[in-house]
Amino acid sequence: MRPFRHAPRGWPGGLWSAAAALMLLYPLAGLFVPVGTWRWDDGGSTLAAVRVSLELTLLAMAVVVAVGTPMAIYIARRPPSERAWWQMILLISVLLPPLALGILLSLAFGPQTPAGQWLAQAGVRTSNSVPAFVVTQVYVSLGYYVLGAVSAIERVPRSLEIHAALLGHGSWSIFRRITFPLARLGLAVALSLAWVRALGEFGAVMITAYYPAGIPVQLWVDLQNFGLPSVLPLLVVFLVAALPLPWLLHVLAQRQSSPTAEHA
Amino acid sequence: MLEAQVVKQRRDLRVEAALRVETGASLALFGPSAAGKSTVLSCIAGAEVPDEGRIELDGRILFPPSLALARRNVGYLTQSAELFPHLTVEQNVRFGVPSEDGRAHQAWIAELTETLSLAPVWNASAGRISGGQARRVAIARMMARRPPLVLLDEPFAGLDRDVVRALVRALREWQRRIGFSIIAVDHHAETLERLCGRVLVIEGGRGVQEGTWEEVRRAPATPRLQSLLAPL
Repeated sequence: MRPFRHAPRGWPGGLWSAAAALMLLYPLAGLFVPVGTWRWDDGGSTLAAVRVSLELTLLAMAVVVAVGTPMAIYIARRPPSERAWWQMILLISVLLPPLALGILLSLAFGPQTPAGQWLAQAGVRTSNSVPAFVVTQVYVSLGYYVLGAVSAIERVPRSLEIHAALLGHGSWSIFRRITFPLARLGLAVALSLAWVRALGEFGAVMITAYYPAGIPVQLWVDLQNFGLPSVLPLLVVFLVAALPLPWLLHVLAQRQSSPTAEHA
Repeated sequence: MLEAQVVKQRRDLRVEAALRVETGASLALFGPSAAGKSTVLSCIAGAEVPDEGRIELDGRILFPPSLALARRNVGYLTQSAELFPHLTVEQNVRFGVPSEDGRAHQAWIAELTETLSLAPVWNASAGRISGGQARRVAIARMMARRPPLVLLDEPFAGLDRDVVRALVRALREWQRRIGFSIIAVDHHAETLERLCGRVLVIEGGRGVQEGTWEEVRRAPATPRLQSLLAPL
């Protein structure tokens, strides 16, 4: 007998879901509202904002992966009680309102703080600088990545890693050949969430690194100074840069067959 | 030779077992369900760490301290094949074989492939083969390394009798040629008897009798054992 895979079909449920989906997509209709001729900033600041956002977010994601992946591997293999503590700590960073996080980062790392002064002596400016921008992005997105990565790694059966070890493989080899291939889509989804979170960050970045201006801050500046016609082109660039990657990964993840489907 | 004393506290059972298996010999662990047989195997394999005890294999101390899994050189087969589902059958079988190993290993793997009839699925994804095929692949993957000790934790459960008979025959033949030791757990005394000359009976976490199958059948140490050995 075929397993029961789908909920019963019925037009009320479908209609309700379609209405909700339309509601979610409706804001995109704003792109077609006549607001005058779209104007691309000719001073170069818009292009610079796109470059800043993409380059520095990529850099931040490299840091997030480098810091977060070993952490996620460790947490995923801890007993449930210990794992819950780690996840609680990570949730704090996820749940903090961005503006509050920005203020806290300024208070902790600002130029007037001991940490800020020490870093300044080492040549690192902790406010309105590339390091400030990247560090803020790392702070706002690391929790999202690690929580998602823990969930992805948890789904790889521990018994497979044990058998790989019994077949003579060390930790790195097991991660490279077993854990990562089986968890990669989950890791990619986690990274894409972190990417969207970092790229779209406005509140915290505005406090710690108003300069160099990324896309969100530039959108705000353009909206304030020139109004909607100058904002919409940048908004489209923002959507194109931010959305396709996580959307594609989400679709792929949905299609992925369960890695533990057959061990019998 | 393997010498093991294993003490492991389970939630509702304290396992305390001692066993000794000469090089090239076989020992069956037999007893009722949840008696601690699999715990003993798991501790020897290293999948679990004993609370106390000592495990020594051919002069190497496996515990204490617990030797890293990758360095134990122990074959361990469980009821679920635990194949790597994203790899092909060939990649699974070769997984434990260093790539620099040469012709002798190639010939050995070719023999495993033929004996276990793996050719039809050799290039198939391990996640998409049948349960019986998966069990055969798991045996080939374990044997490819020629481990000095093979631990079998109900690897034949759910397989047809013909298949079990063929696998047992293959294991015994390889054991005769290579000289590895076997410790096997199974619920079917008949299967164990074909595979292992001696048996250690475990009940309530403790070894209650050890001897040849004939000795154990002739004078079972407990009523429970007598019942387990009685024909249906």
